[in-house]
Formats: sequence, C-alpha cells, structure tokens
Amino acid sequence: MTLNQLKKSVLGLVLLLFAIGPIQAQPSAEAGNTVFRNYCASCHAKNMKSNLTGPALAKAEENWADYPREDLYSWIRNSQGMIAAGHPRAVELWNQYKPTVMTSFPNLTDDDIESTLLYIAAVTDGTWGAGKGGPVVGSENAVVEEKSNTVYYLLFGLLLVLALILSRVVNSLAKINAARDGKVYEEKSLRDTLTSRGFITFAIFAAIVLLGYTTVNNATNLGRQQGYAPEQPIKFSHETHAGLHKIECQYCHDGARRSKHSVIPAANTCMNCHTAIQYGSQYGSAEIAKIYASVGYDPLENKYIENYEDLSDEEVEAIFKKYMSTMYVQAEGIDSIDAAGERLADEQWDGVVESLTRPGKDKVYGPIEWVRIHNLPDHAYFNHAQHVTVGKVECQQCHGAVEEMEVVAQHSPLSMGWCINCHRQTEVQFSDNDYYNSYEKYHEELASGDRDKVTVADIGGLECQKCHY
Amino acid sequence: MSSNNQNNRVWVGEKDLTRDQEFLNSVDKEFNDDISLLEKAPELSGNRRDFLKMLGFGVTAATVAAGCDIPVNKALPYVVKPSDIVPGVATYYATTYVAGGDVEPILVKTREGRPIKIEGNAVMKSSTGTSSRAQASVLELYNIKRYRTPQIKDGGVFADSDWATLDKRVKSALNSASSIKFVTNTIVSPSTEKAIAKLKATYPGVDVLTYDPVSYAGMLDANMVDFGKRALPTYHFDKAEVIVSFDADFLGSWLPSGSTSSDYIKGRDIFNSKSGKMSRHFQVESHMSLTGSNADNRVLVRPSQIGSAIAYVAGKIVGGGGNVQLPSDVKSKLDKVANQLRAAGSRGLVVAGSNNDAEQQLVNAINNAIGAYGTTLDMGDANLTKKGDEADLGSLIKQLNSKVVDVVIFNQCNPLYDYPSSGKLAEALGKAKAVISIGYAENETTNASTHIAPVTHFLENWGDAKASESKLYLQQPTISKIFDGTRQLEEMLMSWAGSPMLAADIVKESINGDAFAGQSKYLSSRLFWENALQQGGVSSSSGGSAVYSGSSISSLMSRITKPSNSSLEIKFFETSHMGNGQSADNPWLMEMPDPVARTSWGNYLAVPVGFDGVRTMVGYNELKDGDLVEVKLGDITYTVPVVQQFGMQKDTVALALGYGRTNSSPLANEVGVNVNPALPISSKGKIQYFRDDVTVSNKIGKEENFSCVQYHHTYGVKAEDEATGETINADEAAAITATYGLVKQGYQGSITDRSVIYTSTLKELDGSIAHLKEKRDHAEHLNQNTIYPYDEFTADKYSQGHHWGMHVDLNSCTGCGACTVACMAENNVPVVGKREVSRHHEMTWLRIDRYYYGDLESPNVVYQPMMCQHCDNAPCENVCPVNATNHSSEGLNQMTYNRCVGTRYCANNCPYKVRRFNWMDYTTADLFPANQPGLGIDTDVPFYADDLTRMVLNPDVTVRVRGVIEKCSFCVQRIQEGKLTAKTEGRRLEDSDVTTACAAACNTNAITFGDMNNKKGDLSKKLDSPLNYIALEEINVRSAVTYTMKVNNRDESLDA
Repeated sequence: MTLNQLKKSVLGLVLLLFAIGPIQAQPSAEAGNTVFRNYCASCHAKNMKSNLTGPALAKAEENWADYPREDLYSWIRNSQGMIAAGHPRAVELWNQYKPTVMTSFPNLTDDDIESTLLYIAAVTDGTWGAGKGGPVVGSENAVVEEKSNTVYYLLFGLLLVLALILSRVVNSLAKINAARDGKVYEEKSLRDTLTSRGFITFAIFAAIVLLGYTTVNNATNLGRQQGYAPEQPIKFSHETHAGLHKIECQYCHDGARRSKHSVIPAANTCMNCHTAIQYGSQYGSAEIAKIYASVGYDPLENKYIENYEDLSDEEVEAIFKKYMSTMYVQAEGIDSIDAAGERLADEQWDGVVESLTRPGKDKVYGPIEWVRIHNLPDHAYFNHAQHVTVGKVECQQCHGAVEEMEVVAQHSPLSMGWCINCHRQTEVQFSDNDYYNSYEKYHEELASGDRDKVTVADIGGLECQKCHY
Repeated sequence: MSSNNQNNRVWVGEKDLTRDQEFLNSVDKEFNDDISLLEKAPELSGNRRDFLKMLGFGVTAATVAAGCDIPVNKALPYVVKPSDIVPGVATYYATTYVAGGDVEPILVKTREGRPIKIEGNAVMKSSTGTSSRAQASVLELYNIKRYRTPQIKDGGVFADSDWATLDKRVKSALNSASSIKFVTNTIVSPSTEKAIAKLKATYPGVDVLTYDPVSYAGMLDANMVDFGKRALPTYHFDKAEVIVSFDADFLGSWLPSGSTSSDYIKGRDIFNSKSGKMSRHFQVESHMSLTGSNADNRVLVRPSQIGSAIAYVAGKIVGGGGNVQLPSDVKSKLDKVANQLRAAGSRGLVVAGSNNDAEQQLVNAINNAIGAYGTTLDMGDANLTKKGDEADLGSLIKQLNSKVVDVVIFNQCNPLYDYPSSGKLAEALGKAKAVISIGYAENETTNASTHIAPVTHFLENWGDAKASESKLYLQQPTISKIFDGTRQLEEMLMSWAGSPMLAADIVKESINGDAFAGQSKYLSSRLFWENALQQGGVSSSSGGSAVYSGSSISSLMSRITKPSNSSLEIKFFETSHMGNGQSADNPWLMEMPDPVARTSWGNYLAVPVGFDGVRTMVGYNELKDGDLVEVKLGDITYTVPVVQQFGMQKDTVALALGYGRTNSSPLANEVGVNVNPALPISSKGKIQYFRDDVTVSNKIGKEENFSCVQYHHTYGVKAEDEATGETINADEAAAITATYGLVKQGYQGSITDRSVIYTSTLKELDGSIAHLKEKRDHAEHLNQNTIYPYDEFTADKYSQGHHWGMHVDLNSCTGCGACTVACMAENNVPVVGKREVSRHHEMTWLRIDRYYYGDLESPNVVYQPMMCQHCDNAPCENVCPVNATNHSSEGLNQMTYNRCVGTRYCANNCPYKVRRFNWMDYTTADLFPANQPGLGIDTDVPFYADDLTRMVLNPDVTVRVRGVIEKCSFCVQRIQEGKLTAKTEGRRLEDSDVTTACAAACNTNAITFGDMNNKKGDLSKKLDSPLNYIALEEINVRSAVTYTMKVNNRDESLDA
C-alpha cells in the first residue's frame, strides 16, 4: 500500500463519517418512549390496555381514525379547546371522563406525537420491550460495564505477525549466512522449537502467571455480587416510582439521612399513596394487593380491617379477591366479572400468598420479606447518614440510576477497593460545615492556595478504624 | 519516714515480695505457657498425619465453600413503623434498676427494640455512673434459664402449665387458706404495696414477711428506737471531713445508692482543692474491704471486737462509756480517731456495718453528739431501700412446723439459699399446703415450691421505686415481653385478688394519686406523668422530719457483742459485684474479679500475710495462693482455696457470701461455697456476719483452676542481687529495701523504679510534686536522646482535627469495677469461664490493677484502671507483620481483626500487657464446636451459644473470632457516632458528644475522655494538673492516657 493510497482511504473514511453524522430526526418509538414517560405516563397506563386516570391508549389511533390526523394532534395539545369547539370525539370522551381534565401539552411537535403513537403501537402489539427496557431478571443479565478488548486482540495479532515475520527474516539471514560460508543450513523444525528448553520455560512461566492472576482475581471477587438483581416478593418498580413519578428516594428510604441503614420502608409508608392509588399501571391489582394484605387494608371500603390478625384465611381471601375482581371489571369496562377475571383473581391471590407466607408464617398478615441486595460483610461498618447528610453524596453515585431500574440491581462492586478509591477522590465539603473548623491547617492552606482541595483521605478516610471496629 | 524517693514503691501481691521462682519464671512472658494448651485440652493433640489430614480437609473445605452460592439475605421492614424507632439508631429510655432493695435510676440504650446497654441517669442522681450490678443487669434479661411459662409440680416434677390453670389453682389455694405468708425482699414500690394491699383485702389471711439478702435489721431497729422511723439515714459523704467507718463497706455493697461513692469522692477531690481540703477516712475493720482499701488509715480489730470499738469511741465522745475490752494499741489509735471526730464536729460522720441494734444505737449517739445529723447524714429524708427483718423468717419456720401456715408465697427472693436456717425452712415448707414462687429463673427456693409463677424482668416492667422519702423513681418497659408466658408481679397479684389490671394502669394510678397531688409544677396529671417518665422519676425538695430521742448509752453497753478470745475468727463479707448471690447466674459478674483480692469464679478464703522482718512474707499456716484447705464451721466443713490477703487482722480469715449456688444456672452451680448456712443468728434473731469457732486445716491440695488475676499481666521483672549474684525479683528488692535497707535500691525496670504508680500523702504533697516533676523531666531527657527524631516526625501529625486522649484520676477511682462490666457490655467482650481465667486467658479490655503501698503488713491501696494506652509511638504497631494494628491520624491505635493472623508479636511487645488473644472460640463463631470452652468447670455451655444471649450484643462492634488479638479501642464506635452527630448538626465536636463506656459508667468521674486538641474541653483542664504522669513515660511510647498521683490523707500518728 503506497502512502497515497493510505491518504485517500483515510480521507474517504472521514468523509463517510461526516456524511452519516447529522441524521435527520425521524419519528421513532424510542423517542416516543421518552415523550410518553415524561408527559403521558402519570395518567395513562404503561401497558396501554388498562384505564387509569386517563383511558387506555391502545385504541387511541383507531378511535380517531375517522377524523383528520391534525384533530388528534390538537386534542393532545389542547383537549379543552376542542371540547369547547364541540368536536364530536372530544365531546364523547369528555362525557366519559369529566370532570378529569387532560393536561395540555402545547409544546409537543407533530413528530413528538407521531413518535409517541409509534411507541404506543409498539407496546400494544408487543414488539416493544423485547431486549430493550424490559425487566431485567436474574443476575445473568446484570448491568456490567463491558470493556472493549478488541484493541488488545488486534495488538496481540499484530505483534504475533511481527514476530513471525522477524523469525522468517532471521531464518533467511541465517540461511544466507550459511550459504555464504558454504555450509548447509539445518532448518529447525516446529517440533524442535516447541520442545526447546527456552520455550518450555517460557510456557510454564506464562501458565503460572496466568493461573495465579486468575486465582487471586477470583478469590478477591468471592462474595461480591455486583449486578445482583434477585426477584423480590413484590414486583416493585423503581422505574415507575422514582423515575416516572419522581418520588424522592428518601421519601421511602427515610433512614438514609439519619441512620446507618437507608431502611427498607415499612408497608405503612406505601399506604401513604396506595390508599388512593389502588390500581397499578403495570400489574394492576396483583402487586398492590400484597401491600394491602400485609397491612390489612380493605381498598374497596377504604379502611383498615379491624381485628385483621384474627380473621380466617378464607375471610381474608374473600376480601382481596373481591378487590381484584372489582379492579378487573373497572379496567376492562365490563359490567360484571367473567371467567377470565375470576381466573385472574385466583392467580393474583396465589401470588399474594406465595409472596407473603413462608415456613413459620402462615398468614399473609405481617412484614414483607424482601431480598436484601446490598450486603456488606459484618466486619465493615457503613453509615448512610455520613454519606448522604454530611457528604451530600447522591444516591445514584453508589446505587446507579435506580430510577431507571425496573428491577433493582447492585450497581457497584461494594468492594473495599471501590470504597477506598472514592475516599481518595472525593472532596470534603470543608467550607459548609463548621465541624471541619478543627482542621485549621487545611483551612490555612486552602486560603493561601497551597492546597486546592481536601479529600476524604486527607482527613483519615483511609484508616482501618473508620470502617472496621 | 521520708518517702520522697519511695513514693512509687508499690507491689501487687505476696509473690511480688518474695523470691517466688514460679513468679520469676512467668514475669518474662506475655502469655503463661506453663499451662500448655495441649495438656489441658487433650482433644486438641495430634501428630503429623493428623496435621496433613487437617490440611487436606481444610483446603477441600475452602474450595467447596468457595464454590457455594452466596447466601440470600432477607430484610424484614416493619409493617407499621413505630415513630420513635429508626433502625440503626439507638433509642434511650429512662427507667430504674430495682433488685430487691437496690435501687438505681438508669438510662437503657435500645437498638431495634433490644436493650443492650445500661447507662446512669444523671437527671435523677448526682452522677452518670452505675454500679457493676446495674451495669450487668441487662444480661439477665437474656438469661437462657428464665422461666418461660408457669410451672406446676406434680409428683415431685415440674410440668409446663398456663396462666389459666395456675391462676385457678392459686386462687383456690388462697381461698381455702386461713394463713398466707407473703415472703419478700424489701419492696420499694408503692404500686406493689398497693397491689399487695388489694390481695390482703381479698384474702385477709395474707401476712407480708420482709427480709433482705444481707441484713440491715440491726440498724433499722436502732433507728426505730432513736427516731421512731424504721428506715436508714441518707448520707452526705461530700460534706464530711472526718469519716469513721466501723466495718461498713459503703463504697462497695453496703447500702448501695449510687451517689455514695460520688459524694465520697467529692470530699476528696484533690484536683480542685490543692489547698489541702480532703476528708480523712478511718476504717475500723478486720478484713480488707473495698472501702477499707480506699481509707486513709485502717484500724485492725477482730470481727468480734467491732462492737467494743464502737463502744469505746462512743464512750470517748458521748461519755458514760464504762470499761471496754480492747487491746491497748487499738485503744490508743481509737483515742486519736475520737479526737479528730470530735474536732470535726458536725463535719464528722460515723457509719457501721454491724447488725447489732445496740451497736447501731451507739453509732447514732456518736453522730448525734458531734451534731452530724442535718449535715453529713439525715434521718428526715430517710432512705427506704431496706425494710427487712430476718427474725420473721425464724418465726415462719416455727409457725410452719406447728401447721398454722397454709400457703407460702415467695416473691422473687431466695431464702432457701440466703437464709442461714435454710435447711430447717426447706423441711418446714413441706408442711404447707401450697408453696407458690414468683420467680424469674430457677433457684433453690423455686425448686422447693409447688407452683412457679414466672415473672418479667425489670426492663420489661412498668413500675415505681421510692428510694427515699424525697425520691420516687419510675420504671417503663424498654422491650415488650420476650416470653408471653411471663407476667409482671403487680398484674399477678391483682389478678389473684380478683381485679385484673394492667401494670401501666396500676403505676399510673398510684403516681397520680400520691405524687401528682404532692406537687404544683404540672397542672394536668398527663403532663406530670409524661415528664416523670421522661426524666425517670420525680424528686420533691424535702422529705419528712426526724428528731433524735436516744437514751443514755450506758444501758446499751451490756448489749454489744462480747469480744472473743478464740484462736481464730472468720469474717463473712459481701463483694461489691456478687452481693449475696442475687446475680450469681450472671456471667459478667462471675467473671469480674473481686476488686481487692482479684479473684473471680468462686469465693476464696482470705488469710492474713505477715512479714518476718527480714525478707519473707509469712502466710497464715504457711498457706499460699491456691492451696486448698478445709474450713470447719460448727458442723459444716467447706473445702475452699486460699488467697493471701494483705491488710488483714491477724487471727482472722474471711470468706465471701454469694457463691456456691446449687439450683441455679449451670454456670453458677457449685462455683465456690455457700457460707449462708454457717452464719450465726443472734438471740434477737439477727444474722451475724462473723464467727469465732472456726478452724482452718493445713493445706490439703491445690486448686486446679485458681482464677485469681492478680499476677496475670503484671509488669514484674527479674534482676540480679549484686551481693549474691542470685536472680531475684526486682520489685521485691526495691520494696523491701526501702524499709529495711537490705538490698541495693533502684533496680532498673522494676515497677518501683518505673513510673507505674506515684503516691503521696497530703502532707508531703509539695515534695512529691517536685519529685514527680524531676522524674518526668528525666524521662523526657531520656526520650529526647533517641536516634529517631520523633518530635520532628510527628510535629504536624496531630496538630489539627482530633487527638483522642484519656485522663484517669487515681484519687477518684475506688476500684468498684463498674467500668470493666460496662466495657464488656459495650464491646461484646466474651466471658471465658473459670478454667480459661485460670489459664490467664481472660479477655477483658479494661482491667483494674490493684497495687499495695506503704506498710508491708497493713498497706494502703491504689487502683489503676489499665487499658490500651493508645501510644503515639506504639511498640505493638512496629512488629505486626501484616499491619493489622496501626495508628490513625486521630491518635488511635487501631486493631483490625480481619487482617490479624494471630502472631501475637504485638502482645509480646506491649509494655502495658493490655492485648488479649482469642485462644479459643469464645464467641462460638466457628463451624466446629471443638474449640468452644464451656463456662464454669462442669458445664459445656459456652457464653454466646444461645441466640437469646446474643441479643445483648452491640450491633456496632464486630464479634471477634478465634485466633485474633483484640484490645481497648477507646470505644471507637462511640467516637465515630459522636463525630457524625456533630457533622450532621454542622458544628464543632463538643466534649459531651463522645465518651467511652468506662468513663460513662464511672460513678466518681475518675475517667475523663476527650479530644486533646480541644483546649477548652474538660480533658485539657484535667491535663493541667501537676499531679499528672504517664505510665512508663521513660520508655518513650507516648501514651495517650494520663494518670494522676494517688494522694491520701494518712494520719501518720496512728502508725506508731
């Protein structure tokens, strides 16, 4: 390859890159997902099939098919306007849902709306979610940061080729030398090379290094469970609660600011919202029923059940099946329960019993047994309050983007090296907290500019008895 | 005697002062390997093949374990979270420790609903501290031997029952009975009294008999005659300038009230009053008690001469004494005591432990004559914690035998153990139709009952306690009942009386009835109740009044104890932690050494030690520590080990009460001997705590598990006698030389030459301070001449942030040992049991070293709490091959258990011998039980084997496994917690944020913990004193703990 050829091909590559760079934005289901999450999901069910505050959207396009596409756009942008104008479909919907008013979204572009419709269609026919964004189940699918090793393989290959070429060169030179001296050059066979002392020594050395490295690495990783995402008794979705509805992490995990434990919320914390929200956007009554069964709340009567602990299993089952059936009837918009509904209630009740009972606990009443994801060894002391309240560390820094997790997975390795590394890099909020006034020397150095920051390590954050005692 | 060059002359025990070869061999070693591990535990022996097998098995097991799945952990949140509980944050409740007549207001630390630690309640009393017994009481809540359901005896065997059955049977028994005896220790609770009154109203035959495990009846009767009140006075030791105690162990277990020792120390606070104002304390006694060990002067008399000594002083002060039989040297000493007492006037105070009412009336007469009533003691605001009269039990036996008693109810008392005629009582009980025991755990009395009504622990109770006329403390539950089959006493009584009521209502009703009516601060009873609960009680400004109306003393003289002429007398005494066995099944207290004799796990016969005037200490009968002897008391013979005790009256031996239980927890059964059956009862029915008809045999054997920690972890060193060239004990040489000038002085390295203890008398204080300064300057000079430029290296090291330090005031430390129990509770320190203690394997992070000084036969005592000194130039840190112990930027010597591989180099290099090695699996953490030592001798139960016991563990402190070193951490978990509190509140750390468990538990504030960089803090103030020194300062370890010189106010004219 001549130099010119090389120049040309590089230039071509660069041009190509520029050409595909600024792609014209087209409506896409992905973009629709974002719009839906941001604007629609608080009122419309994510499965597109159930009615929540707003109607199910699966048939939205179909229902508006008789009218121009623009009518649907303007309905979404300003529904009240269209009702006032007397659009027949608008009036029909209004009569069905009033007095609930749909929020106006005047800033949505046509493309946004088309994308959303694409997304709705994709969810409805089930093509959405296969592989992307769907629930991550089991530790195998854990979110592990993958490093690209291609560069190293290429490099290795290159070196190997180089080595072969060089050996050929050496061989040829030796041959030429031998010919010049008038000797017969004896070519070494591959077998001779492989059985040579040097090669065997090298091979053994390499094997020991490799094995040792693997053993030590695996040994240090024993007991670590980065990516661990077990199934929980309730399919609680952080994506829905923290992501979609933007509930503050510490609203539920109220220990994080004041205790060593962030605390898995008590069931009565759930009840703060779920007395009102009785039907979930994803699982309907199946999961919310578990909270009610745990605390003893009758959602249809809107009150806590008296003497709940003393009720027989049948009585309890009857209360919650009635709730499940009622929810089914409402969601489907039918008049009375059908066979599918009864089957659904049976399934859901079985799910409740399975999740809330265990050997030694026969009643569904009582605490929910969650699977603990983040486990530290007993000899390591960790305090949430220190990091959250004092260090002002965002939850996501260690736990990852929980608000995007349908099923929570352990984001960080929680290894000592990981802790130490952060303590080395993290700057202490020196000026905001009077506690640190006792570090006079650091304050002086910061003032004089001799020091640009104080890290956790600088105030003893790497010492053993900060975490082990 | 000029003592300027000898005032650090101290010794540990008899072996220190003799050329004991065994001792000389052991002083070189950190660990006592004379008792080899294999010899004592043959199950651990093995050969090379076994080793290979184990190795193979170990590797395979590790591989298999590594291949296993990680266990799935579950987390159970609350269903409805209680508003006052945040998981991970401690919640404190104010309540009251009540055990029989012992009352202490306390704070209880709970974590996730479990009580785990007891602290003092400074709102309700003058100090934050607690007694060792209150400190340990939290462990009793988790006693695995607790009764969990009612028990009914059928055919001689107890069977589990339920409350419905028990109530029915009890009621029918009570209904058909004409005479019901309710036997109890002193009841301090007005609510309980009301419940008993209710029971009485329903069953008129109920008669309450009160007695106390250790009797105060003589004193109560005396006050009844002199004041018309059957109560005890409230003492104000802080106001006393001259204190004379006749055998009253008021710093130990005599009338424990929590404020006695803090008041006493306030009067001796040399720190704040260098002007020389310090009370003088004379102790007249026969045996070295904890109080006697703190006294300035002791006057030794035989136990039977105590009465005469009181009478003699009474005669001198009140007049009209007549002739009293006493040796002339004692008389001349008592003359001087009487003179000082008279001079002190109303600032004098006399107390006596005697259980003879005439002797106590004489004491009242003395206190009245010097005008002490109203200043140093007060009968107006009387102490109500003791009300018993054991004479009632005597008449109970008679009544039972004449079959006039139908039902006996025992309320949480154990007369079949602690009443001398327990044998007769047990026999007589067979004649009652029903014997109902309201009991907590199995004991001698519950075992002899027909019905057992299981009672709740005081930490599960609602209740109240009227400790004195002006003080009413409250109890509230700190945990819900652990066992549903238990019931609180008051609820039991009310339900038997036919009007069941909840305990909370009983108490509330009682409080609102009386205490609320008597105050005007709170308008509503609800506010009053809530505030009282939050504070732990209510105190009114004044109690009642009392006027002395005693008669002339001459009539009393005939009723005092006649001095005996027998060849040997025995004194029975109460140790501060064990009492009379009420808490004998508490492993923390069993393992805690007796502060004076330093013995644990059993009672040991204390025999006097004499000095031959040359170089030998002579034990009584040539008995040595650990020799077994037979003690014959009437028709009872005990086999007990001997401990040689300095400061005992000649011809007197002493033995502690409270041991030798038979039907208790397996760990307490047969540990020591029960001396209660040997206690004589006087003609007036009063138990006497001495006897004159005792014989002690010669040595008959050797105690196999001699659990005396006296010589464990001492600093003793060998030296060479320059004259003879033989190996001698350097301490012995120096100590004896000082008095007799026989051997060369100042052996380098001996305790006496090193700065371990400095002492002085108040009179010589200025000289001693100068001497101390000289010694410290010299040490500093030595430390400067090092090839390592220490100061340059560390110039900046602790200049900012925190630098933790501790100050221990040896003048305030009474040696009571509450801090050692607090340390065990706070830091999950395991209990190792008798056999392990005898092998020097005790795990305590904090020990209290007891040193004698002064006269060789009747020395003074100094107690030195010794824990990790957190040296800034620590010798242990340099020798650890895996860097498991290292230094923090805040001056802490950190111990990281997970790094420790157990080489024990650090312990060998520690000059203070404070590092402890987990020789065995004391915490039962291993998979294989082979290495778990049982507590006691015959039991296989390791301390932490049961989950119920484990509930007491502090969740913030790692439980250590076998094979690692551990030691005092300066309660780093508390430091971190305190720092976090300051940080979250965005302010500088204050003294009140951080304190260690030992400092918090100290009644006398002897321990101060804090940040040495906080120049305005309490610690910095204490570090200013010229009495301060650093132990072993000359070896340049730069320790962070500072001690003070021990100063006494000894009256040397008594030595003559």
